[in-house]
Amino acid sequence: MVAGAGVPTGFDAGAVAATQTALLRKRSEDVARTWPRLAASAGHGQWARTFSAWAAGRAPQGSLRDGWDYARAHPPRDAAAARELALRELLWAYDGETAPRPRRGPAARLHTGELLLRWRGRTLTYRLR
Amino acid sequence: MTPLAGRGVGIGWRPEISGFVAELPGLRFVEVIAESLPHSGAPPEALAKLLASGVAVVPHGVKLSLGGAEPVDPHRVDHLAQAARAVNAPLVSEHIAYVRAGGVEAGHLLPLPRSREAVDAVVANVARTTAELDVPLALEPIAALFEWPDDELTEAEFLTEILERTDALLLLDIANVYANALNRGEDPADLLARLPLERMAYVHVAGGRLHEGRYHDTHTDPVPGEVLELLGELCARQRPPAILLERDGHYPPAAALRAELDALSAATGYPAITGTPAR
Repeated sequence: MVAGAGVPTGFDAGAVAATQTALLRKRSEDVARTWPRLAASAGHGQWARTFSAWAAGRAPQGSLRDGWDYARAHPPRDAAAARELALRELLWAYDGETAPRPRRGPAARLHTGELLLRWRGRTLTYRLR
Repeated sequence: MTPLAGRGVGIGWRPEISGFVAELPGLRFVEVIAESLPHSGAPPEALAKLLASGVAVVPHGVKLSLGGAEPVDPHRVDHLAQAARAVNAPLVSEHIAYVRAGGVEAGHLLPLPRSREAVDAVVANVARTTAELDVPLALEPIAALFEWPDDELTEAEFLTEILERTDALLLLDIANVYANALNRGEDPADLLARLPLERMAYVHVAGGRLHEGRYHDTHTDPVPGEVLELLGELCARQRPPAILLERDGHYPPAAALRAELDALSAATGYPAITGTPAR
């Protein structure tokens, strides 16, 4: 149903396809809640279609990982979406295979004229002139 | 005495609309997604305020997967029981559905085959759940876009058998009744006539939309007039003890939400909770 296997015999293929579409839409809404900037970067009203086209046949991994995988596959050109991804990468270590883990210790990154700091598990940001 | 008697019209509490919900003058009950509550400790402040003002809070589980072939996850059952204690809930609710299988999360509620084997599986999982709960459990039949081949039981038989064998209450979603009937080409009144309505704890109403000839129970669209009409038919047959509006996204302006709540009051004869004078 969600991982791309074929429709077993005896099922109404149209009804199953409608369910798959509905599940993808629900999944895209969940990801949009976790990755609001990424979803907005698809353009007004475009996220469900854009995300679903990529996610169809990929087993759901939860909205955090689903959005992360999507963002890595489609590095965001939109500034707000790129910043959202950069902040996640700063706080969490994600290997693309297993659940993201919080990164330990302080760290600093420079992201398009902004200094992003990780300090005690939180982010601090400074716009550089 | 049914747990929500006298509670009238309620709304699904969601963080995005907590400000709106806090300002409903006649509100007597809300639902909260059980999985959104912390496993231990106090509920969110906005919910705590509602509780303090006498509003009943019903934890509504969405990820227990009572219809899964495998036993329910004891940690998830414990969470539901803890959630009920944290909000001093009069009851909790969950779905007759599965949400995961073979280690894959579907991300939403999926229908069970209507077989005797599936009834047995649900009954066993409900027993595992109620053993840990201090309060009654209401079971909600879902909206399904597809059916399993060779169903042995009708939906009414399937649901009635589960409710009788588990002694659970019924959380009837009138939009789901509408959706399933429309998508199967059946008359929704037939199902209402065959369900054990005397077991109703409360009723859900939500919006949806027609898409490519099928009705999708989206919870992100307005409540169609046909669903409100069906609610009226249900009340003519048996008025539910309480009724709840579910909205899960694409939140409309406050005036539109108030109008939907008032429409539920009009259809059921329960007092308006919005402060809008009754017409």
